[in-house]
Amino acid sequence: MVKVYSFDGCPWCDKVKKYLTARGVEYEVRDIEENADFAAECEKISGDLTVPVTTIDGKNFVLGFDKRKIDELLATA
Amino acid sequence: MKERIHKDVVIIGAGMAGLTAALYCGRMNLDTLVLENAIVGGQIANAVDIENFPGFISISGGDLIATVQKQAENFGAVIDEFDTIERVALKSSPKIVETQEKIYAAEVVIIASGMNRRKLPLPEEKKFAGRGVHYCELCDGHAYDGKIIAVMGGGNAAVDAANFLTKYASKLYLIHRSEFRADEVSQKRLRANDKVTVMLQTEIKALRGDKRLESVEVFDKVTGTTKILAVDGIFVNIGVEPNTQLFKDELNLSASGRIIAGEDCRTEIDGVFAAGDVREKEIRQLTTAASDGTTAALLAENYLAKLGG
Repeated sequence: MVKVYSFDGCPWCDKVKKYLTARGVEYEVRDIEENADFAAECEKISGDLTVPVTTIDGKNFVLGFDKRKIDELLATA
Repeated sequence: MKERIHKDVVIIGAGMAGLTAALYCGRMNLDTLVLENAIVGGQIANAVDIENFPGFISISGGDLIATVQKQAENFGAVIDEFDTIERVALKSSPKIVETQEKIYAAEVVIIASGMNRRKLPLPEEKKFAGRGVHYCELCDGHAYDGKIIAVMGGGNAAVDAANFLTKYASKLYLIHRSEFRADEVSQKRLRANDKVTVMLQTEIKALRGDKRLESVEVFDKVTGTTKILAVDGIFVNIGVEPNTQLFKDELNLSASGRIIAGEDCRTEIDGVFAAGDVREKEIRQLTTAASDGTTAALLAENYLAKLGG
């Protein structure tokens, strides 16, 4: 399952979610403002709290919106 | 091999100017595509409270732009905010706009690519970008909950960003090289906050830190002294610059980098129009962006009608 670390009101997070929706990809939103565990996970994955962070396995991730990199990440699923 | 697709009109940029042009082109039954490399809505996408757009006492930028987008889409315009533009060839016939995935050929191109935030002009900026140096308070402010924040700039955008970031900051410095340009109401609100120290006539001269930003060197222009300020993050709001990198070899740009076009939005290339803040002009407001979008679309239709004979 694709996970998107993000929070409400973050425009680039919304763009990633819109893109995944447009591609018909199911994803789980992990809100780092609402859930401290998700924030800690996000920091562990990317080393920072800058979002959006998109990941499948919790190791490889895409920071921000980069269509090519997200496509590559999705291709690994 | 990229797919080649024909359109009557390709609009570059989905801010107020681009979406208004799309709305008008759609209403005139023109086959219209809008491409956006960043965020739909452009500079106003994140605006909390717009009070100077006729028809609304107060509306958020997100709500206003979502409405205009819906209007444009209702009239058949297609908006693609995912496929990034890589190259344009505006002098050819038809004109070409090439994205990562497709090649669009169109008789008319309306450039409404707007402005980008100006980057911090320091050599360490790249090292700390996203690691203490930020440009979007709404996107990254949350990462500084309980931390020390500096905001750089003295215009409305900077002071609004500072006011917003006080909800996270344990301490906030507003650092600006001259005097405030922001409106009085925003200034007063900022100065009234106990967490805030306003430092006018000061400049950030260097960024320090190992892997992340840890402090900044601040030069006081009045006293001529430099001091080190411990900060966890700075949010840069030192103005905007036109988003014209794609067009610099195709069109005449002004000294400020904007596209030279008259009030009719026509550039020196027939069928290429410039609308909104990217066009060199004296007044740049949301209302004038909508006006430019309207003008460019109507004259685009006029141009297409003449081409069709």
